[in-house]
Amino acid sequence: MASEPARATVGLGRAPVGPRWARLALAAGLASPLVVALVALGLGYYPIPVVDVARSLLSAAVPAAADGVPEVARLLVLEVRLPRVLAALLIGAALAVTGVVFQGIFTNPLVDANLLGVTSGAGFGAALALLLGGGTPWVQAAAFGFGLLAVTLAFLGSRLYRTAPMIVLTLMGILVGSLFGSLTSLLKYVADPLDALPAITFWLLGGLTGVGWRDVPALLLLTGVGAAFFFLVRWRLNVLSLGDAEATALGMRPLRMKFGLIVVATLMTAIAVSVGGVIGWVGLVVPHAARIVVGPDHRRLVPMSLALGATFLLLIDTVSRTLLPSEVPLGVLTGLIGVPILVVLLRRNRTGW
Amino acid sequence: MARLNASGIEFAYVAGKPVVEGVSVTVDAGEVVFLLGHNGSGKSSLLGCLAGVHRPSAGRVLLDGEDVHAMSAPARARRLGMIPQLHVAAFAYDVLEVVLMGRAPHLGTFEAPGAEDEAIALDALALVGLTDFRDRRYTELSGGERQLVMVARGLAQRCDVLLMDEPDAHLDPRNQFRVLEVVSDLARQRGLAVVIASHAPNSALMFADRVLLLRHGRTLAMGGVAETLDEERLTAAYGMPTEVVTKVVAGRRVPRAILPRRIDRVPEELETIAVQRADVERPGALLDRAFAAGAERPQRLIVTGARGTGKSLWCAAVAEAARARGLRVAGVSSPAVIEGGRKTAIDLVDLRTGERRRLAEVRRADEPGTATQRWRFAEPALAWGNEALRAAAAGPGTDLLLVDELGPLEFVRGEGFLAGLAAMDARRYAVALVVVRPALVDEALRRWPDALVVDVED
Repeated sequence: MASEPARATVGLGRAPVGPRWARLALAAGLASPLVVALVALGLGYYPIPVVDVARSLLSAAVPAAADGVPEVARLLVLEVRLPRVLAALLIGAALAVTGVVFQGIFTNPLVDANLLGVTSGAGFGAALALLLGGGTPWVQAAAFGFGLLAVTLAFLGSRLYRTAPMIVLTLMGILVGSLFGSLTSLLKYVADPLDALPAITFWLLGGLTGVGWRDVPALLLLTGVGAAFFFLVRWRLNVLSLGDAEATALGMRPLRMKFGLIVVATLMTAIAVSVGGVIGWVGLVVPHAARIVVGPDHRRLVPMSLALGATFLLLIDTVSRTLLPSEVPLGVLTGLIGVPILVVLLRRNRTGW
Repeated sequence: MARLNASGIEFAYVAGKPVVEGVSVTVDAGEVVFLLGHNGSGKSSLLGCLAGVHRPSAGRVLLDGEDVHAMSAPARARRLGMIPQLHVAAFAYDVLEVVLMGRAPHLGTFEAPGAEDEAIALDALALVGLTDFRDRRYTELSGGERQLVMVARGLAQRCDVLLMDEPDAHLDPRNQFRVLEVVSDLARQRGLAVVIASHAPNSALMFADRVLLLRHGRTLAMGGVAETLDEERLTAAYGMPTEVVTKVVAGRRVPRAILPRRIDRVPEELETIAVQRADVERPGALLDRAFAAGAERPQRLIVTGARGTGKSLWCAAVAEAARARGLRVAGVSSPAVIEGGRKTAIDLVDLRTGERRRLAEVRRADEPGTATQRWRFAEPALAWGNEALRAAAAGPGTDLLLVDELGPLEFVRGEGFLAGLAAMDARRYAVALVVVRPALVDEALRRWPDALVVDVED
């Protein structure tokens, strides 16, 4: 008879009963965003020691903490790097956790929040704003708005058929995504190749260059609210992931719940895309990596994906910002790094998700 | 009053095309009810109506008098457990996690199961005998084990009624039996009311208390297993000629297996002398076929039939037909001696020589041991009979060897003509006929596994 499973005290429910390293990995994963953020804030064209980073951060609350830290370093940390690091953490967390949610509610481990066309819609919105010469706020607003519009269209389209609503919704999502993809191509075709076209292309590849404090509040608000919501319903995601028939048998209203989850996930994705552009693969790679560490139970998977997603995107953004001679678009890097990781994970994880 | 009481249920996926029409069913606590019927007969749809998943267009489903469709979804799931058909889950949850999900209707949307729920889930796992499986991955279990985990999840729901959709599908016979055995035990021990939609009428024979036989969405029959599942109804229900094989248990004929009725296949090597119904009428025809085949390989036939059906007469007819063809007949027969309308003695006839002796007489009522044996056998006559059989084997060759008849003396006590049966084992004949009563056919076949059986009663 196995001994009683240890209970984690951090509010994660049952801790993994497996080997000790799994529990350590869970703890390490949850702590990783903070550690990586501290290091990342110090890295860059102007390197800053970790101690000075910490003191600069503290000075926001206690001005005296920054005594002896060069003013340049303090300003770099607080005004330039911190918003970008925060944006990377929030966007990474959002993309990863919405991936987990979509995989759970569509009972398919190979989808992410782009399934219903939010990214394609956002890409079209941004391209349209750039073509019309709008500034950053306009681009972001258009990306956000069209991302929501795409998912709304997919929902309306799915109402045409009453049977198998989730399958029809998926189909409509793919159709709407293709539609906006075509429209975006059309915009690129007519865009000024010297001015608007490079801007559109660059935006579509994703990146956090030029992200500042003005971008953080909305991102923080929607990501925070969404993450809190998913964290609260994380055990229900287990039940939902069994499929509609079983969820219904267990006393749930799966369609209603899924609708709510999709709305929240879409808002999170839309705000993430509007700030960071189209960044792929995070929603696929991170949930799978997290499942390998903590298993498929959403009680642990949701917090773990939030943490690992934040860490993953921050790492990639930091690499892009510091190690490479010229900044490579984030969407390109997540693909270049994420795809090989996913292949390795799939190989390791042959027995089930 | 029945725990679950559905009356006049009508349900249609597409308006105007009802798949369930006017079906009523009741289930008591501790009772297992099977829903049987052809594909599309409405079993699963009816189950969905009972579970509250489908809303019937007419009729009501009452659970302890309360309308199932008026309950909230969680309230319903606290009383009614539904186990859908087995499928492979997308995510590899641990067994305990899967069972814990049965606590969903007892928890709020933002709640996660706690220590008490875990204890309930572990209890449920223990009840289906899978305690050791708690940390195994659900997706790595066998089909039978997965089905049992689903049953445990239903138990963790703490429901009064368990509805199962084809729990025996995709399982090998052992696992079918295991799952259904666990479920029916739980029904009896814990007063669970169980409804099982199944494609296996044989499972119903074994585990159902009552069955509902559906045909094209309507009730064909409802009631106890033995009286509901008769050949006529099953043939109508499945649109296929159906045979019910029965067995006498404690003096009652009970159905043991349900089979499609088909022309029995004859083993190829025996095809030349396959016993046909007409052979009983015309013993000569069987004899001809048997000799054609027996020329290469001696044939053994076990002749049986209830008392008074004429096994001995038939054998005598065969022997006569053989002699008429100029064949040599040997062996023994034991005709009854009738005096005053009663069988008072048995003679023994050596068929080769035609010599006749008294083999047995009825014991007198005051003789000791009357209770155990009706006939007093004459040992010298038995010895003489054995000698006649030995001679049949040792002689110049016998075409037809007839032994009428072998009884408990030989098969149970190991006496009687057993010594003379060396003739049978020596196979110095073309065809041998052995007469035994129906109850001993299995014994005879154990001794001569390649023998063919002629049932004169047919």
